[in-house]
Amino acid sequence: MAEASQVEEAERVEVSKHGLSARADGGARSGVRVELVECERRFGAVAALDRLSLTIEPGELVALLGPSGCGKTTALRALAGLEQIDSGTVRIRGVDVTALPPHRRELGMVFQAYSLFPNMTAIDNVGFGLRLRKADAKSRRERAGDLLDLVGLAAQSERFPHELSGGQQQRVALARALAVEPRVLLLDEPLSALDAKVRAQLRDEIRRIQLELGITTLFVTHDQEEALSMADRVGVMAAGRLQQIGTPSEVYERPVNAFVAEFVGSVSRVPATVGRDASVEVLGRRVPLPPAQSAFAPGTVVDVLLRPEAFVVRADPYGLGVVTRRSFLGPVLHVAVAVPGQAEIVATLPATAGADIGVGVAVSVEPTGAPLFVTEQSAAVA
Amino acid sequence: MAALTLSPRGRARPTATSTRVPAFRFGVVTRTVILVVAALYFVVPLVASGRYALEGAHGTYTLSAVTALFHDSALWSSLLLSVEIALGAGLLTLVLLTPTSVWVNLRMAKLRRLMESLTLLPLVVPVVVVVLGIYGAFPTTVVSSPVLLAFEYVVLAMPYSYRAIDSGVQALELHTLVDASRTLGASWPSTFRRVLVPNLRTSLVAAAFITIAYSLGEFAMASLLSFTTFPVQLYQIGTDQIDEATAVSVFALLVTWGLLLGLSLFAGRRTRARRTGADVPADPPFAAGVGAELVAEVESVLGHGDPGRPGIGRERGRDA
Repeated sequence: MAEASQVEEAERVEVSKHGLSARADGGARSGVRVELVECERRFGAVAALDRLSLTIEPGELVALLGPSGCGKTTALRALAGLEQIDSGTVRIRGVDVTALPPHRRELGMVFQAYSLFPNMTAIDNVGFGLRLRKADAKSRRERAGDLLDLVGLAAQSERFPHELSGGQQQRVALARALAVEPRVLLLDEPLSALDAKVRAQLRDEIRRIQLELGITTLFVTHDQEEALSMADRVGVMAAGRLQQIGTPSEVYERPVNAFVAEFVGSVSRVPATVGRDASVEVLGRRVPLPPAQSAFAPGTVVDVLLRPEAFVVRADPYGLGVVTRRSFLGPVLHVAVAVPGQAEIVATLPATAGADIGVGVAVSVEPTGAPLFVTEQSAAVA
Repeated sequence: MAALTLSPRGRARPTATSTRVPAFRFGVVTRTVILVVAALYFVVPLVASGRYALEGAHGTYTLSAVTALFHDSALWSSLLLSVEIALGAGLLTLVLLTPTSVWVNLRMAKLRRLMESLTLLPLVVPVVVVVLGIYGAFPTTVVSSPVLLAFEYVVLAMPYSYRAIDSGVQALELHTLVDASRTLGASWPSTFRRVLVPNLRTSLVAAAFITIAYSLGEFAMASLLSFTTFPVQLYQIGTDQIDEATAVSVFALLVTWGLLLGLSLFAGRRTRARRTGADVPADPPFAAGVGAELVAEVESVLGHGDPGRPGIGRERGRDA
C-alpha cells in the first residue's frame, strides 16, 4: 500500500512538472479501472444500492441513467467515499478503497449544485486542491490558469463565483476537479441546472476534455439525451439495480427489459397477438419477434413496445386513428395518435408532414420493424 | 402612467411630472424622522449623563469625576477582568458553537429543532437558578475561576449567538461545499478552516460580538458568583459616588463601542489583507466594514435582505 502511494506520488509529481499540455500531448497518465462489486446501501427498508456491480474500464466514460431515487447518485457517492456502503467493495486501479475517506481517493467531482467556494475567485477555486497538496503559489497559478484556459475561462480567472453565469461556474468546477490530476472524474448531474443551449455546449466540452485527458469518468444523469450522446457505455438503473449496461446503441436498440425500453427513448405500448412463426401481429401487420423473445406461445396476447420511427402514419379520413397532439422538433414531427381500443401511439413524421390535430389517420407498422420488446400485458419493470 | 427616467445608477427615478414624487418625498421624510427620533433616543440620555458627570457646583463644569477614573486602580483591574472574560467567552462561543451548528446541519438535521429549543433555555432559566446549580455542581476552586464565568457567558449568550451562526450555516450550500472540499483532498479540519470559516465570517463575527457585548455588560451572574467585573465595580462606585459612577457609565459605553469597533476593523483588515496579499487582487464581493457585516447578518436573520446584493449562500449564477 505504501509502495503504491509512492508510485502514485511519483507519477503525480511527474505529471505536475509537465503540466496539462504535456498530458494532452500524449504524456497523459492513462485512465484507471474502477470497480463497484456487490455494493449494497440501505436507507431503512429502501435499498438505494441493491448488490450493484459495475466496472468502468480505463479512460471510459460511463453514464448512469435512471429516474430519481433509482440509486445512481448513491452509487457515485459510494465511489467518491461520500456515502458509506453497508457491504461490497469499491476498487480503484485494483486497490480496495472501500474504507478510504474521500480526500484520499484521488477523485475529482463536479456537483449538480453550484459548488464553487464563494470566498475564492475562479483561479483560487481551481487551485484549491493544489494548495492542499502544497504546490507553490507560482505553479498553482500556472496550472489553474492552464485549466481555466482549457475550459475557456482564462479571462474570468479573477472573478468570484457570483460574478459568473451558471454555465461558467460549472466550467470552473470542472477545471477545479481536473486540477488535482484525479484518477477518476465523477460528474453528478452537472448540467441539470443549466438552460438547454448552455447544457449542450458544456456537454460537448466535457466530452472533449474527457477524451483529451483520457480520464476514467462516471457521469450520473436523468437526462437520456445527455447519457446517450456523451457516454461510451450507458448503465440504466432502477430500484438500486443496474438493469442494463451497454453502448448507447445497444441500450436504445436492444433493451433487456420493458423498463429500459420505456425509460430510454420514447416507446408506445401496443397490444398484439403472438403468431406461430416467431412473429407477432401488430396493427394488422405481421412482424418478426425480437430474436431473444420467442418464448411466448402462439395466440398469447402481449404488449409490444415500439419506437416512434417504427410506425407508418398516413392521412386517411376513414382511418381509425386521430391526431391528438403534435410536437415540432425541428427536422421531425412527433405526433400522438389515438387509436380506439389501444393506448396512445407516438410516431415520428417528417417535419413537413401536414398532420394537424384532429386529422384522421391510418396507422400501421413498418414491415421490417421488429418490436423493441415484447412483454405480458400491463407488466412494467422486469 | 408616470414618465420614468433612469438615474446614473440605473434606478428608475420619477420626472417632474411624475405622480410618484409625493410618495418618494414622504418616504424620505419618514425615514429621516425615524432616524432622528431613534438617534435622540440614544443620544439624549448619553449627553445628559455626560453633562451630569462633568457638572460641578454652581453651574460650573469640572473634569474631576473623569480624572478620578484614571486613578482608580480597582476600576481598571475590573475592566481588564471583564475584557478578558468577554474575549474568552467570544472565543469559546466560536470554538464550541460553530462545529456544533455545522455538524447538526450536516449530519443530524432531525435534531435541529431540538437544538434550537435547547439554545433558548438560558432565556427561561433564571440566573439565580444557574448560579445555585453551579455552586452545587462544582468545587469552590472551579467556581472562583474566571474561566467558569466565561463558559457561563457562552451559555447565557447562546440564544443569540447560536442563531447568528446557525443562520449563516443554513445560508451556505453546506453539503455541497463540504463534499467538494473533501473530494478535492481536504481533511475535515482543513475543510473547516479553509472553506467553512471564511464563508461564515459574517456570522461568526456577529456571534462573537453578541457574546462579547453581553459579557461586558452582564451584572447579575458576576455579582452572585462574587467576581468584581466592570459592571459590578460600576455598581459599587455608584453606591456612594454618583457623579463618578455616571462618568464611568459613559466611559463603559465608549469602551464597549471602542472594543467592538476595534475587533470589527481588525476582522475586516485581516480579510482584506488575506485577499489582497495572497491570491485575490480584486475587491471581495461581499467585503464589508462593521456596519455592512452586522446589517447583512440582521438581514439574513430577518430574511428580508436585498435579494440583488451578493452574499454567501445567496448568490446564484445566471445561465449564460
